[in-house]
Amino acid sequence: MSEIKPNESAPAPAEDNGEEKDWAAAKAFFDNLKTHKPRPPKPRYAVTIAVSSRTLFNMVAERKIYEEEGVEKYVAYQLENENEPLKPGAAFPFVKALMNVNSRLRKLYPDSEELFDIVLMTNNHAQVGVRLINSINHYDLTIERFCMTGGQSPIGYLKAYMTNLYLSKDSEKVGEAIEEGIAAATMFMPKTEMELSDTQLRVAFDGDAVLFSDESEIIVKKHGLDTFFQHEKEFENKPLAQGPLKCFLEALGKLQRKFYAKDERLNCPIRTFLVTARSAASSGARVLKTLRSWGLEIDEALFLAGAPKGPLLQKIKPHIYFDDQMFHIEGAKELGTISAHVPYGIGQKYNRGKLIEPEKKE
Amino acid sequence: MVSTIQNTDVKQKDADHAVVVAITSHAAFESGADDGDAVYREGVAFPLLQALQKVNERLLEENPAESLLFDVILITTDSQQQQQSSRVISSTRHYGLEVSRFCFSSEEDFIESLQKNNVKLFLTTDTNEVTQASQTGVVSVLLDQQTAVCSSEQLRVMFCGDAVIRPDTGPMPLTRQAAQSFSTQLGEMRQKFGMFDSPLSFILVTSHGGRESCRGALQMLRSRGVSVDEAYCLAGAPRGPMLSLVQPHFLLRDGYSSLEE
Repeated sequence: MSEIKPNESAPAPAEDNGEEKDWAAAKAFFDNLKTHKPRPPKPRYAVTIAVSSRTLFNMVAERKIYEEEGVEKYVAYQLENENEPLKPGAAFPFVKALMNVNSRLRKLYPDSEELFDIVLMTNNHAQVGVRLINSINHYDLTIERFCMTGGQSPIGYLKAYMTNLYLSKDSEKVGEAIEEGIAAATMFMPKTEMELSDTQLRVAFDGDAVLFSDESEIIVKKHGLDTFFQHEKEFENKPLAQGPLKCFLEALGKLQRKFYAKDERLNCPIRTFLVTARSAASSGARVLKTLRSWGLEIDEALFLAGAPKGPLLQKIKPHIYFDDQMFHIEGAKELGTISAHVPYGIGQKYNRGKLIEPEKKE
Repeated sequence: MVSTIQNTDVKQKDADHAVVVAITSHAAFESGADDGDAVYREGVAFPLLQALQKVNERLLEENPAESLLFDVILITTDSQQQQQSSRVISSTRHYGLEVSRFCFSSEEDFIESLQKNNVKLFLTTDTNEVTQASQTGVVSVLLDQQTAVCSSEQLRVMFCGDAVIRPDTGPMPLTRQAAQSFSTQLGEMRQKFGMFDSPLSFILVTSHGGRESCRGALQMLRSRGVSVDEAYCLAGAPRGPMLSLVQPHFLLRDGYSSLEE
């Protein structure tokens, strides 16, 4: 899923001549700009994060107009307010943190294309784009690539942009992306604002059905906790299968190692966290062994043994927290954590431990 | 020698207001060697013709008295096809294509047909014809196999964001003026439809520049009456995968010769 990109050092494949020409022309364009804006990285080597307009900016009021008065009134409103910058949305702090990592990477590796590439991926009509670009300018965000599809599905474009992670407010699109093998999550704005680090990108992941497949969760739901513990002990040395966000963790790890290589481990601007309901004593070992078998490191692993995640996340203060269960997302949100729901696996059929009866369709 | 034949199956358009689009029969039809008297097979421009027709249909739905319509004429320069002029006409009728006139001329004087008919857009599969027509200031587009897979339900016109905003230096070349007035007319047509479900869509693709280029292009086009529907800003990302999704029928080079590239 969302296959990891090749190393820069690996021999480049015989590339399309057109592709190289476009790249060279863009490089020349940016190098000649008077403003010395950093040019966007080559997609082939970058970690590409696609954010929707509603996750990057707070468009709640605008959305209301769209839903209550229709698309024409919505676009008219956006045009009228074109010069009014939008307020930051749920993904805004995450994007700022990505930009910070990029500036650190550029200082250490000035010629490298292994950077974060932030793409704006929106269903919006291109006329709304002017306000979006004005807002991006207002906050001086390094976003130079975008797709404004005017109503068409973004899924194909996600692939065309070699997206490693897609963040949106629309759970249907997120679900489609995951089915196509692209790491994706639905973002939620917390009720209260937390003060987040502006020097370090902090990303927290749930384990089962996020980094790992939902195979173990299926056992819990179908056979209960005791069977689950037994099973995990028995299969401790058998790695779990991959989950939808595994490749994103891998991409983060690759960038982390670039800092370690320059002796910056203690000052690394990326930190990853595993926040799992598993307990260290019984089912935790399998998780750590799986990560090890994948050659992946996670900076801090927190085993809650079923305790609520909210208070712990408050201490961690991640820029984004990925979980597959809405129950945990809600708990995190309540206490101010920016959370992202990964609609994957058996957890989607349950609400607070109870099986959701499928709605009878007429 | 140029000869023009009206297609009596189709209502003639208002010459003062219609937008004349000329297409070569080579682009419209595939001619096989031994087809005999049979109807020609569909050519690469078929979906494009159908899309143009769709726009007209929808324009008339909005306003049955609409005069700002596409007026499609078929130009035949190929001597072989000329000998089978009746076949060109019968094939057109067979497919129910909304072609109002047939022009038969030689390679040397097809330009005359373009001028006589006040052609605003010339579509062909022949590179020489594109060069010749551009030199006389007619917006000309080279069609190819890619055109064959485009939509027949929606006419998708692409603009290039890297070219639109370059400042004017000196007198405007003929094609540029023509492209700009053509795009303004398209913009007018587009206005008659809503945001979504329009049979005509404008797409802006910025290949090299970043968001500033894109924004500049959006605003510049807007000032000319062209309200862009979809915008893709690549800033150096590979164009191929994007274009195969966007599938424009043609690119309107608002600033430069259509042969650049």
